[in-house]
Amino acid sequence: MAEKSLDCLGEACPIPLVKAQKEMERMAVNDVLIVNVDHSCAMKNLPDWARSAGHAVEIEEVGEGEWDIIIQKLK
Amino acid sequence: MDEKKNYPFHELYLKREWSYTTGAVLLTLLAIALVIVTGKAWGVTGSFGMWGGWFLNLFGANVDAWDGFKGTPVSTYNFWMDNTAITDLGIVIGAFLAVLLAAQFKIKKIKNGRQVVAAVIGGLLMGIGARLSLGCNIGALFSGLPAFSLHGWVFFVCIFIGAAVGSQFLKKYFI
Repeated sequence: MAEKSLDCLGEACPIPLVKAQKEMERMAVNDVLIVNVDHSCAMKNLPDWARSAGHAVEIEEVGEGEWDIIIQKLK
Repeated sequence: MDEKKNYPFHELYLKREWSYTTGAVLLTLLAIALVIVTGKAWGVTGSFGMWGGWFLNLFGANVDAWDGFKGTPVSTYNFWMDNTAITDLGIVIGAFLAVLLAAQFKIKKIKNGRQVVAAVIGGLLMGIGARLSLGCNIGALFSGLPAFSLHGWVFFVCIFIGAAVGSQFLKKYFI
């Protein structure tokens, strides 16, 4: 199980979402992707997409206006 | 996190994003209130044109003679008497207050030069577009549709075309 992080600080929608989608394609099942974002709408559209694609998602607030979106690829 | 349990009201109403339905209902009620109080529909970018004209006047441009300023001369413009300017100010103050209440204020870094170029070109195109179509997505669309104005629907179709073209540029230069 590999873990990869993706720095999307300073990037606005929909760039974090598209970058995460591309990264997920390259990953194997059970791998974990951590997306670091500071754009609040990425905190909504990224988890929405990941859940609808059938992956496990967790959001952690790491600082003021900064989040880690942790996605585990499940299929 | 522990804070979620300690401050459930803060978490639910100030921190977590409101639903689209909540936002839509509030926007509608506030827009109706604005029409009742001021007698004019909500707009945003109309004032930007006035501020631009005022700025050019500083350099002796005399924009009052231009067709675009017929009926709304810059020489007699008063920021504090301009409904749109006041609501624009309210948007900035309100957004600032909301982000502080949610404890999510952050000064974001500029990641690369492309972001600057895109912001400048995008801002100019949006500004020119908003003036040519006599309004932005608020003045022309949001306030145009409930007034049964055809130009709102034309605007509605055109922003989708613009967004489709813009997305292609975004994919090409930012992904």
